[in-house]
Parts: sequence; C-alpha cells; structure tokens
Amino acid sequence: MSNPILALTYASLLLATSFVLFRPDEGLFWQWQRQRQLTHRVLSEDALKHIYKNELINNVTTLDSVTGAIGISGNQTAILLNEMAKHGLLQVEGTEFNLTKRGRVSALHILRAHRLWEHYLAEQTGFVESEWHERAELHEHNMTLDDIDSLSNSLGNPTHDPHGDPIPTSRGDLVYHGGIPLSSQEIGQRLHIVHLEDEPKTLYSQLVALGLHPGMEIQVLEIGQHFVRIWAAGDEHVISPLLASNISVVPVSEPDLDDMDESERLSNLDIGQSCRVMRISKQCRGLERRRLLDLGVLPGTVIKAEMRSPSGDPTAYRIREALIGLRKEQASMISVVPL
Amino acid sequence: MSDNKTKSLLETAEKLRWDVGSTFHEGVVESIYADAAHIADRAVNQKEKSSYFDLDRTIDGLVTSRLFGFPLMVLMLTVVFWLTISGANVPSSMLATLLLDNLYPLLKTASSTIGLPWWLDGLLIDGIYLAMGWVISVMLPPMAIFFPLFTLLEDLGYLPRVAFNLDNMFRRSGAHGKQALSMAMGWGCNAAGVIATRIIDSPRERLIAIITNNFALCNGRWPTQILVATVFIGALVPAHLAGIISALAVVTIALLGIVLTFAVSWGLSRTVLKGEVSTFSMELPPYRPPRILQTIYTSIIDRTLPVLWRAVLWAVPAGALIWTSSNVVMGDLSIAENIVEYLNPFGILIGLNGVILLAYILAIPANEIIIPTILMLTVLSSRMDSFGAGAGVMFELDSLEGSLAVFQAGGWTLLTAVNLMLFSLIHNPCSTTIHTIYKETGSAKWTLISSLLPVAMGLTITFFVAQIWRLVGGVG
Repeated sequence: MSNPILALTYASLLLATSFVLFRPDEGLFWQWQRQRQLTHRVLSEDALKHIYKNELINNVTTLDSVTGAIGISGNQTAILLNEMAKHGLLQVEGTEFNLTKRGRVSALHILRAHRLWEHYLAEQTGFVESEWHERAELHEHNMTLDDIDSLSNSLGNPTHDPHGDPIPTSRGDLVYHGGIPLSSQEIGQRLHIVHLEDEPKTLYSQLVALGLHPGMEIQVLEIGQHFVRIWAAGDEHVISPLLASNISVVPVSEPDLDDMDESERLSNLDIGQSCRVMRISKQCRGLERRRLLDLGVLPGTVIKAEMRSPSGDPTAYRIREALIGLRKEQASMISVVPL
Repeated sequence: MSDNKTKSLLETAEKLRWDVGSTFHEGVVESIYADAAHIADRAVNQKEKSSYFDLDRTIDGLVTSRLFGFPLMVLMLTVVFWLTISGANVPSSMLATLLLDNLYPLLKTASSTIGLPWWLDGLLIDGIYLAMGWVISVMLPPMAIFFPLFTLLEDLGYLPRVAFNLDNMFRRSGAHGKQALSMAMGWGCNAAGVIATRIIDSPRERLIAIITNNFALCNGRWPTQILVATVFIGALVPAHLAGIISALAVVTIALLGIVLTFAVSWGLSRTVLKGEVSTFSMELPPYRPPRILQTIYTSIIDRTLPVLWRAVLWAVPAGALIWTSSNVVMGDLSIAENIVEYLNPFGILIGLNGVILLAYILAIPANEIIIPTILMLTVLSSRMDSFGAGAGVMFELDSLEGSLAVFQAGGWTLLTAVNLMLFSLIHNPCSTTIHTIYKETGSAKWTLISSLLPVAMGLTITFFVAQIWRLVGGVG
C-alpha cells in the first residue's frame, strides 16, 4: 500500500497543475488556444474593421492606431498592412491608410457578421450583455457569405444590433444612426438613446449596469466639469463625461411612451395587490418578450400578485385567470400602475 | 411585372426598412396581441368567483408557505420513496423466485436434454438470461410504483409548485427551476430524468440538467446502497439502532447527490456552459383530482416499459461479457481474474479494489447487476467454493451474514464500504442513460462529458477519502 501523504502530495500537485492549465478563461491552455486562433486572416480582418470605423467618423488611420487596435507589434502591423495593400484592400498615402472599394466591401461583410452575431446572442442565448461583443469577435471570422446570409434570414433580417449599430445589408447598404454624444447635449432636453459604444468592455459594463439600452428615453439634468447628471430608468445617475461620450442620442421627435416617470415595476408589488400593465420595457427583447406577450401581459392587462416562493423568488401572478410564476428580473421589466 | 418595376419596388422596401426602425417588428406583434385581447375581453364572460373560500388558494398558501413549504416537500418525497422501496420488495422477490429460482433450473435442464454445448449453454443461460432476469426483477417493480406515483403528483398539480419553491436555489447555481422536476424523475431512473429535461426550453440550462441528472440516485442504485449500508455501517452500532443508522447513511448519500447537483450546475454555468439564467415563466395550473387509472396506464406505457425494454436490451451484452470474461482462460487465470489483478493496485489506492472496478466496467449496461457481479467476481477471484454457482454465474445471497462473509474474504473494510457507496453515487451513467443522453442532445461531445465528468469526480473523491482515512489511522 502506498504512503497516503505521498499520494496526497502527488494528487494535489496534479490538481494544481490542471487548475493552472484549464482554469476557465484564464487557464494557460485556453490562452494558448486563443493565441493560435489569431491567424493572419483574423488580424487582417480586424485591421479592415478598424480602418472602416475610422473612415465613418472621419478619423485618420495611421500605423500606430492599427497597432493599438489589433494588439500586435508595430513591425508585424507594418508587414500586415503592406500585404493588404498588395492584395488591393487598402491604399497608402503618406502615413495615412485608406480602404479601396474592395477593402470597404470586405469590411462591411465582417461588420455584418459581427453585428448579426451580437443580435443572435442577445435574442436567442443567455449570455450576459457584456459578453456579446467578445463572443461575436470570435465568430465573425469563421463565417462564409452564405453563413452570414442564412443567419440574417433566420433572425428575420434585423436592421440594428443590440447596441443600436446598424447592420449592413447583404448589398452593403448602411444607414448610420446619426446620434450625437450625450456629453454635448443641452440640459433638460428629452433624448432617445440610439447607440451605446460597446468598446472598451469596462465602460460598456458600466452602461449596462446603469440599465441603459438603445431606444430608451433619458434626460440630462446637469453637466459639471467632471460629471454628468442624468435622469434614466426612473432614477438619477451621476456618470463621468467619458462614459457620457459613449452614449449617442437624438432628440425625441414625438412624445413617446414615457420612460421618464416610471412609477412602479411589477416586481415591487406586494402580495395581494393588483395593478394595471403600462408596458414591457424595451430592454426585454426577443424570446423573452414574446413569452410575456404569449402569457397575455399587454398594456391594460390587470395583474394580481398571488404568492411568493418560500425562498423569496419567484412570485406567482394572476394574469388573465392563469397563475404564472415569474422571476424578479422578469417582473422588473414590466411597468405597472398599482390599483 | 417587369424587371425594372420589381427592382425599384425592392429598393423602396429596403429603404423603408431603415426608416421604420428596429422596434417595428415588435410593435406589430404587440398590437396584434392587443387586438386579440380586446376581442376576447369583449366576447368572453368570466364567471364571478366567490371570494369567501378558494380551495386552490388555500392549498397554494400551504404548500408554498415559508413554514410548511419545504417540510411538506420532503415529507411528500419520503412517502413516495417509502412506498416505492417497501412496495417493491414483495413483487421483486416474487419475480426473482420466478425468473431466477424456478425458470433458470428449468432452462438448464432443457438445455442439457437437447445437448447444447457447455459454452453455448453458459453464454445464453448463465450469462445473458441471468442478466436479463436480474434486471427485470430488480428494476420493474420499483419503476412500476415510482413512475405512477410521480405522474399522479404531476397530474394533481403539485410538481409545478415544487419547481416554484426550488427555483431560487437553482437560479443561484445558474440552472432552471424545472430542473427540480427532472432531478426528481432521475430518482426513479436517470434515463427517464434525462427525457424529462425536455420541459426546459433554454438549451444551455437543459444541458446542465442533463449532465447533472446522474447525481440523482436512481432506483437501480438504491439496492447497492442499502445492502452495503446494512452490512457495514449498520454493524457499527448496537442492533436496535442498526436499521435507522443504515437508513440515515443511505439518505446522506442521496442528499450528497443533491448537493453535487447544485455544485456541478454552478461550476458548469461558470465554465463550459457560461451564460445568464434565462427566464422562468411557468404556469402553476389549478389543482385537479387525478385520473388514477389513466395515469397508471400512461405512465407504465410511456415511462416504465420503454425504459425497462432498453435496460433489458442492454443486459444482453452485459451478461454475455460477464460470462465470457470469467470463463475464457488466458494463461493460468480467466480474463476477468487477469483484469482484477491488473486493476487491484489502483483500486486499493482509491479505497476500493479490482473486483469493484471491474464490476463497474462490466455492469455499465445496468447498475442493477452491480451487487451480483461483485459477489460472483469476489468468489471467483478468491476461489471460495462454498458460495456461488460457478464462474460467470451471478448470484445474490439471502442472508446478510453470507454477503458479509464473501465481502470479508474479498478483503473489504469499512473504507471499502464507504467508498463503494460514494462511487455508486458518483460514477458514469448506465449505458441506457448514456444512449438517451446521446439521443436527446444529438451531440457526441456532450454525451462524452456527461459520462466522463462523474467518473473523474468519483475517482478523485474516493481517492481523497481513502488517503485521509488512512492518514487519520483508519484501517484500509
């Protein structure tokens, strides 16, 4: 029989090694695999996307900006861009890089794949919002034109991704949302969010945490030197000017269903209390929204909170004579007026 | 229509798509629903309900109350198990008497009368027939009781309330409340539990439910647990406490299974099956008096018989393998003994032994034949002539003392017993379940993960238990 102390030591070493190698996300094995996926094709596609986005906002693309965007050394970037120019994807003028017509078409296809993937992740999977972008970055490179078209078809040819960015059509048509950064708005103006910048991830996570989403109505209350105070999602928020510049808005053209004076959410209803539904938040999308509609949660429907699970969540609501259990997160998507 | 006209129409449509915005589609759907609701409200008259006493509300208040909700659930479950285990005893032994004690000798006589060669007689009757007989007599009665009881609770409307009560705990481990139902179904049979995960819509949460279903201790594994607990753990305490202590040991293992279900769900939803918990919207139907006869009929036709049939089919290769491996000799020993010798050092290291490991390999098709296989292999490899009926012939002993004698001859200690109970909970699903997982997921990758993950966990856990046991001075 073996010595138990020795056996324990060996086994612990083995477990520690496999933890270092295969730990979720940060394990060495996964890092190595990700590194391997950064092939030539992926890098050049990322460079195309970067130049295209710069052209949209009339920024000049330089060697340094490409290097920063795709994360390889300056030397490697120079070689990469040279090769791309040779293939007729871009042209060099002094220190500036511009896309050729062919380059622009390729860039649009990648953008289309990326935004369709984000749409798919948002509508049909359970991934959290802050992960959509990274996952789409991985998948956009592995799709043929046919794949992209069939994905678009299966999603019902959506026009916008979940951040409010327009999705190019298969012919390359694209209408920009035309929003202006929140940081340069007048005080008191009622505004619609048309776009939330999803890069960098840390800033985007903060936007998500505030409960902001495209299509929502907000108002600027005060602009200070180091902060912007806004009214959104039924509450006041103080955000940094940097964060505010990542939110694009347009003035509200017609008085819409009002996001401003959200009085009450279904999740705040006490047991035994009844309420009338105002609307379902725009944040609740895709299958989730359709399920609520299927259950008969419509503007005007009367809902009564019947009972709560002994563990505090979910709560059962009486909706059109049926007893339906809903979790807190879902119930908080429904704006109501208590009766 | 001319080509030009079509083209310009398409172009206009394309342009309009951008103008109407991204929420247009949902707006249309919503107004259709609103219209439908409006028409329904106008045309349908609701009966005024009396507000004094509502039976459904009263029952709901009780079964989901903070005070009684969870105790009632445990009570209901205990009653179901008690009815299953105690109710299955009698028909099980009747079936065993019929298939193993009466029919088996008859078949043996018949085969010698028509002069079957010894190897064909052994393979067909000692191997295949016995394995099938065993599976039927151990498996059929508990399933024929458990599934109808379960279906009755479902029909009554109680099970959705269980999911409602437990959803919060499942949500925290990244899974869906309806997994409570597939887990409960898994206590009857993991294959049926895997099928029951169909009620979960989201593919991610359904996979979690499928992979963790194996941690619900199924009917086929209860007999192993009960026998080992009675023989080894019950023997540690005075006789009048033996029953309750060994029952508690089995319940502890089943509870450990629930803990593992939550732990593994949590781990999966943070690694390979990452994602947010999707929505929980579940109807809690009104209570109805169950349709007893119909329920019994459908649950036997839909659940019991298909599962049993698949298990019987899988028993054929298992029986053949068990008989062949113990009768074909390589060198001085049979194949089975060779493998036992080979596996023994590793088995001892993790607090089990070669016989148990081989039994778990041979009995992948059905957990029901673990104990008969272990007994047969122990007798075979320790050359005890006073027990058993020959190489490759599975048997069970009527007396606990007899089982204990065989186990002790095989070198078993208390550690072996504890680790066998652990390993019986945490090992690969039986081949019926693996087959079902493949059919349900359609993916070789997930089937492989659901099969190998529990074995890896089981080997790791038994290994650590064994080392720590030896470190603190336990015999093993």
